[in-house]
Amino acid sequence: MSKAVDPDAVLEVRGLTFGYEREAVLRDVNLRVGGDDFLAIIGPNGGGKTTLLRLILGLETPWRGSVHWSRALVPGAIGYVPQFSTFDKNFPVQVRDAVLMGRLGRGGLLGRYGRADYRAVDRVLEQLHLDGIAAMPIAELSGGQLQRALIARALVGDPAILFLDEPTASVDAETRQVLEGVLAELNRRIPVVVITHDITGFASQVKQIACVNRQLFYHGSGKLSHSDLAEAYGCPVELIAHGVPHRILHDHDHQHAHAHE
Amino acid sequence: MSDLIGLFSYEFARNAMLAAVFASILAGTVGTFVVVKRLVFIAGGVSHAAFAGLGFCYWLGANPLIGAVVVAVLAALLLGWLGESRARSQDAMIGLLWAGGMATGIVFIHMTPGYAPSLMTYLFGDILTVSRGDVHLLAALTIVVVGVLALFYRSLVAVAFDETFAAVQGVPVRRMTTLLLVLMALSVIMLIQVVGIILLIALFTIPPLIALMLANRFLAVLVLAVGAGLVTSTGGLLGSYWLDMPSGPAIVLFGIALVVLVRGAVWLRERLWLRRMAWEPGGARSGQAAGHQE
Repeated sequence: MSKAVDPDAVLEVRGLTFGYEREAVLRDVNLRVGGDDFLAIIGPNGGGKTTLLRLILGLETPWRGSVHWSRALVPGAIGYVPQFSTFDKNFPVQVRDAVLMGRLGRGGLLGRYGRADYRAVDRVLEQLHLDGIAAMPIAELSGGQLQRALIARALVGDPAILFLDEPTASVDAETRQVLEGVLAELNRRIPVVVITHDITGFASQVKQIACVNRQLFYHGSGKLSHSDLAEAYGCPVELIAHGVPHRILHDHDHQHAHAHE
Repeated sequence: MSDLIGLFSYEFARNAMLAAVFASILAGTVGTFVVVKRLVFIAGGVSHAAFAGLGFCYWLGANPLIGAVVVAVLAALLLGWLGESRARSQDAMIGLLWAGGMATGIVFIHMTPGYAPSLMTYLFGDILTVSRGDVHLLAALTIVVVGVLALFYRSLVAVAFDETFAAVQGVPVRRMTTLLLVLMALSVIMLIQVVGIILLIALFTIPPLIALMLANRFLAVLVLAVGAGLVTSTGGLLGSYWLDMPSGPAIVLFGIALVVLVRGAVWLRERLWLRRMAWEPGGARSGQAAGHQE
């Protein structure tokens, strides 16, 4: 593996090993995210999907290995949509104010929100069909509305990459439709990485798939074989039955993303 | 009423009023962060730990408040350093500081020759004994705490709402949390004057609880909590004057009565709103429903 960073890659993960306490959760993980990728990271619960994301986001320090970004990472350049469980839904904040927090990275620790920030918020609220409920407290949002509000917060900083951690599968029809449109449009400009146990919601958009279960198995084609899944999950049948596009690949080399190129 | 105006011609009454105002500002602003970030028991640990500093300075013959400030800030820094990542050790450390601070303070006061009437004052608070010097100290601390809160407001609110997202945005979450703990420690000193160590948790929790029932934006909650703190402390103070009760417990009990009253009013408003919805189904505006912060 060469030391130089792939010029087309937005993000390169090399030889990443990390764990909690003394047990390794991830072992020697390599991953490359290109400029127009739509990558789904799937895998069983406890397999290390969210840990991998935390490492990429810089929230954990790896035992070994490294995360390289192609450009110097300015604050706000990472669009991040967390799981619902990571924050307090009863926090006294309206949709507009919550989305405004996506502009936090700009302007530094002592910064104040300015006119440009409010304009950006208005634009993204409209884009995600939230303008009608901008003054609603987040405690009263439906699951789908909250999902869109979190995506609006991630997009309002004009990020260079978007990560979605377990976007809820059970969102309403409006959210699903808006989401599909927004993500497709976004993916023309920036890479999108979705961490999910239910790939069906994004089946038509996903271009690459990575299975994470202690190790990472990469599928550049966005298609999965039975044996790939069996390796990652142990019991792949249910996922396949949900209609993931798949075919039997005989010549796959799943350890290293670079090997595909 | 002339009774009341007569009361304020006394300096001790004016000092008490000023102390109540400063305490309300801090209880409302810092207390709101304490409640939404669930730091109530950390606040309890820090306030009881401060008793060690009080006792030490009392024994030295220095101003006990200075000792309380130093020990409270040190305790806050220690708890911040332990952090939530080591939640179990932090929790146990709160217990240690709580009892250890009280024990140390009592030993020092025991070692001080003569009767120690002010011991009770620090435990249960007596706002009527606040001196002019204390008022000046309170004013300075209030300005410092509110100033720092205002300076880092954006980052502090973001950390309170969603730590992970704030960290991804480049906010130093650990340092902001420790800053909040230090501000809380400074506020604790002021509240000791008003309601005492044992009861001060009430002033950190009652005003934000009332405000959270009435508003759904963070800044509005802060402002309302300051107002609720003012109503609680002055109402309790007047109640203690009329009913001849000790001021600290009067303030706490008046505040709790206020919480129940406001909760009842919010419940009633919701019921009326639901009934009106039933009559005019076309007029549903879900944004108007109130009282979702339990």
